[in-house]
Amino acid sequence: MNLDDGNPIVNAHDPIVLVRNAHRSFRRGNERVDVLGGLSLEVPPGEFLALMGPSGSGKTTLLNLIAGLDRPDQGEIFVAGDKVSGMNETQLAAWRTRHVGFIFQFYHLLPVLTAFENVELPLLLLPLSARARREQVMTALDLVGLTERVRHRPGQLSGGQQQRVGIARAIVTDPSLLVADEPTGDLDAKSATEILDLMAELNTSLHKTIIMVTHDLRAARRAHRTLHLDKGVLVTEPDMSLYEAG
Amino acid sequence: MHTIRLIVKNLRRNPIRSGLTALGIMILVPVVTLIWSILSFLDAATEEKASNLKAIVSERWTLPSQMPYSYATSLSEGASREPDDLRPEDSMTWSFFGGSLDPKTRTFDNSLFAFALQPQKLLTMMDELDSLPADQKERFGKVVDKLASNRQGLILGEDRLAAIDRRVGDRITLYGLNYKDINLEFEIVGTFPVGRYDNSAAMNVEYLLAALDAYPTSHSGKKHPLADKCLNLVWLRVPDRSAYETIGRQIAESPLYTSPSVKVETASSGVSTFLQAYRDLIWGMRWLLAPAILVTLAMVISNAIRISVRERRTEMAVMKVLGYRPNQILLLVLGEALLLGAVSGAISSIATYVLVNNAMGGVKFPIAFFGVFFIPNDALWWGLAIGLATSFLGSIVPAWSTRSVRVVDVFSKVG
Repeated sequence: MNLDDGNPIVNAHDPIVLVRNAHRSFRRGNERVDVLGGLSLEVPPGEFLALMGPSGSGKTTLLNLIAGLDRPDQGEIFVAGDKVSGMNETQLAAWRTRHVGFIFQFYHLLPVLTAFENVELPLLLLPLSARARREQVMTALDLVGLTERVRHRPGQLSGGQQQRVGIARAIVTDPSLLVADEPTGDLDAKSATEILDLMAELNTSLHKTIIMVTHDLRAARRAHRTLHLDKGVLVTEPDMSLYEAG
Repeated sequence: MHTIRLIVKNLRRNPIRSGLTALGIMILVPVVTLIWSILSFLDAATEEKASNLKAIVSERWTLPSQMPYSYATSLSEGASREPDDLRPEDSMTWSFFGGSLDPKTRTFDNSLFAFALQPQKLLTMMDELDSLPADQKERFGKVVDKLASNRQGLILGEDRLAAIDRRVGDRITLYGLNYKDINLEFEIVGTFPVGRYDNSAAMNVEYLLAALDAYPTSHSGKKHPLADKCLNLVWLRVPDRSAYETIGRQIAESPLYTSPSVKVETASSGVSTFLQAYRDLIWGMRWLLAPAILVTLAMVISNAIRISVRERRTEMAVMKVLGYRPNQILLLVLGEALLLGAVSGAISSIATYVLVNNAMGGVKFPIAFFGVFFIPNDALWWGLAIGLATSFLGSIVPAWSTRSVRVVDVFSKVG
C-alpha cells in the first residue's frame, strides 16, 4: 500500500488496518483525559484480532477510530486502503456502510423490525434492487442459520438468535472488516460459544478480518492474536488477573 | 417506500402514545375548523363585492332605522325621477314585527321576530334563498305563494317552529312587542329551507300595513306611534359598483328624503357596521383562541416526539453507525410527526364536515343576523394543513436534536 501519494493501492500483503501514531483525548469537565497516546497498529487481511484491556484503557476508542465512528486528534488511520482519519461525517457514513460491519454487545436490533428487515437496513442505503437485497439478506441469514426466523421480531428471539441477526446485519453488505464490541458479553456460555464459532467460521470461510474487543479470555483465545491495551498504549506483559476466564 | 414503512412501524411501536397524540389532534382540529368556518363566513359577508351588489338604504342618523313607509316606492326605484335615471335590478323593503304568543309573560321560546316583506322577494332578494337548488326552490316557491295569497300567513324556520311547539297549518296570535297594541293572528303556511333561517320568521308586509291603517278606528282616531316609522330598511340590487354609486347619488340628492334623511351603503359595509358590536369577540376568536389552540396542538405533538426521540437515541446511533446520515434520521422523525398530523388532521376535518353539515345541520352560533354556520368545502383540507403545520412546528426541534446524537457517546460503555 502506497501511503504517500494519497491514492492508496491495496495488495494482498498490505495490512487491512493501519493505525499510525493515533492520539485521542476527551474533555471531562475542565480536565483533559488522554485515552490514546500515539498508538500504532497493523492488522493483516484475514486476521482475527482480539483487543483486551481494563476499563478505560482505550479499547473502544481505538475500535471507534478504526471503524470510522470517531476521528483521531492526531495520527492517521487507513482501512482497506482508505484514509479514514481524513474523511468528514458524510463520507464516513457512506464508507461505513460498504466497508465495516458492526457487532454489538447488546445486539441493538430495531425492535419494530423483523429479523429480515433488520438485516436489510444497511442495504437500503445502497443502490440495489429489491430482488438483490432480498437475496443478500437471505444469504446472510442462511450463513448465521436463521432462515427459519426471518419474520420474527427481536422480542421473539433468544439472546443468541438476536446476536446472530446482528452478525447477519454486519456481514450483509460484504464488508472488508468486522468490528465486534464484546459480542458475547450479554450471552450465556452456550450461546457465547456458538457466536464465537460463527465468527471463527466467518473468518476462515469468508476471510473476514475481525477486530473484537473483549474482557473474556475464552473469547480472546479464539482469535489469532490478542493485543492488550493499558492507558492508551499497547502492552506486552498485561496483568491477566484483570480478565475473566469466561 | 422503505422510509414510510419504517415511519409507520415506529408509530405502531407505542400505539397508546401515537393514539393519544392523534386523538389530541382530532379533538383540537375541529375546534379550529369551527372557529375558522365562522370567521371565513363573516369575512365573506363583509367582503366588498365587485358585481351583483346589494345596496342597503336606512335612516341616516338613528338606530334602529325607522323610515316612513311612504319612502318605500320611490326608494325601491332608486329615487329615479327622470327617464334616464338608473333603476335597481330588484328591490325589497324590510319591516320588523316582534310579537309574543303570551300577552303577559314574554320568553325567548314564546316570542317571534318576523320580517315583514313582499313575499315574492323572499325568492329573489334574500341571501341564500335567492340561490336555492331547483328542487328546494320549487318547494319553497309554493310556500311563498301561500304567503302571497294569504295575507295572514307566516313562514317559520324549523327551529323556531319547534321552539314554539307548533306545526304547519296551526293558527297563532302574536301580541305586538315593538308595535304595542297591535296583535296579529297568523296561519303558519310553511317553513324556510333548513339552514340559515332556522330561527327566522317572515310575514306579508301588507298585513302589518293594514293593521297600522286600522289602528286609529279602535284608538279614537289616533295613529299608531310607529305608523310613520314602519319602514326599517330597503334593499336594492345593482349590477356593479358604478350603478351602486349612481343610485346612491340619486338617493342622496333627492329632495324626498329629508325628514328623516337616509343613507345608502353596501350590504357588506352594513354587515361590517353591525358586526362592530362583536368586534372584540371576533378579534379574540381570530387572534387569541385559534392561535392558542394551534400552539397547544404543536406542543402536544412536540411532547410526544420529544419522548419518542429520547427513548430511541440508541437506535438512532445504531442507524448512524450503519451509515444513515443525520438528515436521513431527521427526516425519519419528522416524517413520523407529519404522517401522524396529516392523517389525524385530515380524518378529523372530514369527520367534522360530515358531522356538522349533515348530522347537526350547522353550528348554532348566533352572531349579528347569522344564526347558523356551516363548514365550508375549503375546510376539507384545513385539517390536513393544520395537522402538517403543527406537526412540523412541534417536531422540528426534537427531530433536529437527533442530528447531534453522537455514536461514540452511545458506545462508550466498554472503555
